[in-house]
Amino acid sequence: MNDLFAAYKPLFDITLLSCGLAFSQYVVLRAGVESFATAAFAAIGAYFAAILVTKWGAAAPVAVLAACALGAVAGGLLSIPLARLRSVFQAIATIAFVQIVVSLILYAEPVTGGALGINGIPQLVGTLGLLLYLAIVVALMTVINRSGIGRAFDALRQDETVAVALGISVIKYHALAFILSGAIAGAGGGMLALNTFSIHAEQFGFPLLVAALAAVVLGGRTSVLGPIVGAALLAILPEIARPLAEQRLLVYGLILIVIIIYLPRGIVDTLAARWIAWRAVRQTPSVVLGSADDQPVH
Amino acid sequence: MLVQQLLNGLIVGSVYALFALGFTLVFGVLNILNLAHGAVFMWGAFVGLYAVTVAGLPLPLAFLLGTLAAGILSVLVDLLVFRPMRKRNGDEFGALVASLGANLVLISLAQQVSNARIMSFPFGTFPIVIFEFLGLRVSLLQLTMIGCLIVLVSALLYYVYVMPFGRQVRAVAVSERTAVLLGVNPTAVYVRTFFIAGALAGAAGVIIGLAFNSVQFLMGEPMMLRAFVVIILGGMGSIRGAIVAGLLLGVVQTTVVTYISSQLSDAIIFALLFIALLVRPTGLFRGLRQPARVARS
Repeated sequence: MNDLFAAYKPLFDITLLSCGLAFSQYVVLRAGVESFATAAFAAIGAYFAAILVTKWGAAAPVAVLAACALGAVAGGLLSIPLARLRSVFQAIATIAFVQIVVSLILYAEPVTGGALGINGIPQLVGTLGLLLYLAIVVALMTVINRSGIGRAFDALRQDETVAVALGISVIKYHALAFILSGAIAGAGGGMLALNTFSIHAEQFGFPLLVAALAAVVLGGRTSVLGPIVGAALLAILPEIARPLAEQRLLVYGLILIVIIIYLPRGIVDTLAARWIAWRAVRQTPSVVLGSADDQPVH
Repeated sequence: MLVQQLLNGLIVGSVYALFALGFTLVFGVLNILNLAHGAVFMWGAFVGLYAVTVAGLPLPLAFLLGTLAAGILSVLVDLLVFRPMRKRNGDEFGALVASLGANLVLISLAQQVSNARIMSFPFGTFPIVIFEFLGLRVSLLQLTMIGCLIVLVSALLYYVYVMPFGRQVRAVAVSERTAVLLGVNPTAVYVRTFFIAGALAGAAGVIIGLAFNSVQFLMGEPMMLRAFVVIILGGMGSIRGAIVAGLLLGVVQTTVVTYISSQLSDAIIFALLFIALLVRPTGLFRGLRQPARVARS
């Protein structure tokens, strides 16, 4: 019964949720951290919110805020052991973290319902709530990007050695990125649980990891608009072309390959760089512009 | 009982090692994590199974076919995904994302080919013969698994450490440009590396399909996660490390399943991975690249 309702949920809600989760992936990549832990944070948030609501009768805002806080704590704690690791090692550790969370959820059957998941969650979060969530996330990201934190993230992503030489604390900013990622995904997971009636452990494994990553890779990894455009395109694409809906994984895979090879900076960042280059040429025709490749785009 | 479990663990571990060897070899040469390796393994098992069930070929031939097909598939992944990436100077993150995409494509193709069914080899494909000595039970299949590992690993070690290929691989691993100056053709090295890696994965796929008598499109995922543990424990890019760590993982896993909990075994294995990353991220052995690359260059 619950699944029947979920199948008819408005596409809009799902798009908003995937935008939010894409931002959780975006913020770590922006800081130069190759973390794929978004799926795990979302699982933690979703289960925490669902349990608070179904077993303890918590109000929706309380449950979502608690999920957000728990996600942030999980992110902060995860950043401590990962402080020593970089690139591929970070990727492996975070993929393993996702697997640990999923298998612990499956194991802790009395609390989480095991393989059956949690069903019959009241729908306490509507489209308005999701819009508010996304608006807060976008506002937060915009503020961060325009502040010193955003510049520190840019420096860390482009060259860690230079960033350290400039006095940027790698451990501090990586921890901050993980905490933000955890908080955004925790809240997003909580909203997901309170919006879609039922949750189960497997949905938070590879499928969510890939969806969040694909959105950011497709949209762009520096501009705030990037994850929104990426997540919206990925959500709407299967609706426009029906056959694509059945081939969702295949399409995601092809998009990941083609975009990362031929448009490695994503749609929005590439367009933004072109726009900046074009404007610069128009305004000061005498200036020969170098490669705009690593210019931060706000 | 304990000795029996140790033996079983070593046998399972030998397959883990076989799978992880290709993974670690690609990492050693290209410094990329080929996340499509699990899908190649799965396709090896698929081809082996279809060779028996659809084409009606005898098992040894099916094994050979699965191994070859996986090798070719792995080369295709390199040609279609990693080579354009290298040409356009893609970074490590890009390679990671692209291989994740290739993994998805291969998995969803397999899902459609098999209709997401769990398939198995027909009964009696491999004779069930059980030997007993010193109170230990070993099946003919397990002995064959060990035999395969010994043969394939010896061939690999011979190829990498005795033949000129090993030196070429190490040359390309250290610097592709210098290797070209020294007359090494990097493309040939890449093609051969990916073929060997894929073939080893395919062999492991057919063996795992036979041992657990189940072949399905998601079978690569748990193997990939185990391979992560193996290459981290053994040292990224280290061949000796992959063998030792693979066997070790097999023993740890069977011991955990027997004495603690089968449901928790995954969580415990990945907790082990975390500890390994914390305590000694460079692993037990040195890789093809030295010094071990933990910090970003």
